[in-house]
Amino acid sequence: MDLGEFITCHLTIRQQIHFWIWKTEPLNKLVCIMMQIRYNGAVLNLDDTQLASQVAQGDERAFLTLYDRYASHVYALTMRIFRDANLAEEATQDTFLKLWSRARLFRAERGSLLPWLLTIARRTALDRLRLEGRRPTLSTADDPEELWQTIPDASTLPDEARWRSMHLAVQSLSPEHRQLLELAYYQGLTHTEIAETLNWPLGTVKTRLRAAMEQLRREWGEL
Amino acid sequence: MTQDQIDDIFRENIPAYALDALDVEDARAVKSHLQTCASCRTELAEYRALSETLLMMTPPKTPPAALRRRLQGQLPSAQKRSSPRFVWSFNQLALGLTLIILLALNVSSYLQIRALQKQQVQLASQLQNGQAAIAMLAYPDTESLLIKADNISGTLLVDKSRNIAMILVWNLPQLDSTQTYQAWLIDPQGKRTDAGIFRSQPSQPYTSATIFSANDLTNFVGIGVTIEPSAGSPQPTGQRVFKVDF
Repeated sequence: MDLGEFITCHLTIRQQIHFWIWKTEPLNKLVCIMMQIRYNGAVLNLDDTQLASQVAQGDERAFLTLYDRYASHVYALTMRIFRDANLAEEATQDTFLKLWSRARLFRAERGSLLPWLLTIARRTALDRLRLEGRRPTLSTADDPEELWQTIPDASTLPDEARWRSMHLAVQSLSPEHRQLLELAYYQGLTHTEIAETLNWPLGTVKTRLRAAMEQLRREWGEL
Repeated sequence: MTQDQIDDIFRENIPAYALDALDVEDARAVKSHLQTCASCRTELAEYRALSETLLMMTPPKTPPAALRRRLQGQLPSAQKRSSPRFVWSFNQLALGLTLIILLALNVSSYLQIRALQKQQVQLASQLQNGQAAIAMLAYPDTESLLIKADNISGTLLVDKSRNIAMILVWNLPQLDSTQTYQAWLIDPQGKRTDAGIFRSQPSQPYTSATIFSANDLTNFVGIGVTIEPSAGSPQPTGQRVFKVDF
């Protein structure tokens, strides 16, 4: 065998199966390339649950596929919470590192992966906010009202009907109710903190936040 | 207050609980109530589904490409690649070998010097003993007594006026490091007084040991030597080597 023609092609599938193929003539080289394409395609075509399962087994390709799929959602949420690109990047990175280390805790029977991932992102970001003792600025420069009005791209969400009905339900709320939701859910403020921030009586905050959620639930259920 | 009324009070807080917006005490009370109230748990599940969907309402925003690279750099395969692996270059290998050789030479020289110093101390001691023996033989009061035992022979020089005695003995066996020879002065009642310890001198055909007595040698009637533990003993405990009467 001519060693000058000797090429090694090494593939790893699910960290368990390895292929080594040696090229001794042009046809073998073709076979090697086709196997690689098939492998990459196999990872990209897996659903979230299958990918999470592979991530739990330490599959880095599956992990990066999930990153490519959902990083824009996680980054957008953390940007909404922080309104600071550097902090949002750090929180996004922390969120995906948690996905890497805790993928085995994901239970598909309890819900899909994206809400689970976004819940981790929200908690990660809010923990950071609380750690730094930061409060929302309520400035109009980054008006969250714009975010409520923007319709997400349907192709980027797994359950289009679900979020579209929610979008319509949110539009039915008054700007005041949306502001309360923004402070409570995206800024992590409690009743008392919202009352201090808006300079409202505590009872008013409780009543209006409850009314906002009840209306949202009602509208969402009817749609 | 009826159970339904109590449930209603807690139920009012369920929407805020689903948003994590309750103050700590209120949240604790709702959490406790949820353990016993199935209808509130059902209500909470609906609000949780609502809040989960709210999370997806933010329009996606593409993060910088550098973030993916940073994240990839923290995965195990990248950590393995970036873990420092020391590769010996020829120069580093040569430097390392040179340092090892120099260190070995230094240790060897130190050990040689220690051995020479020890030898020097032994030779000085022997020379001193030899000079003392010659000096003693020159005194008219020195007695020369014969040492005779199994395979051992020698001379005991005793100068009672100066309270000095010297043992010169041939073929004294070498002892291991746990043992030593110990000399004893013997009084008329047979009582033994420590007169010092000494070791045989393998580099010399004979062994010499000088005894400087603090007591008057005229009070003693002989000298004996026994084998004792390396630090010596207050009284003879070991095998007798020889005994000489004055």
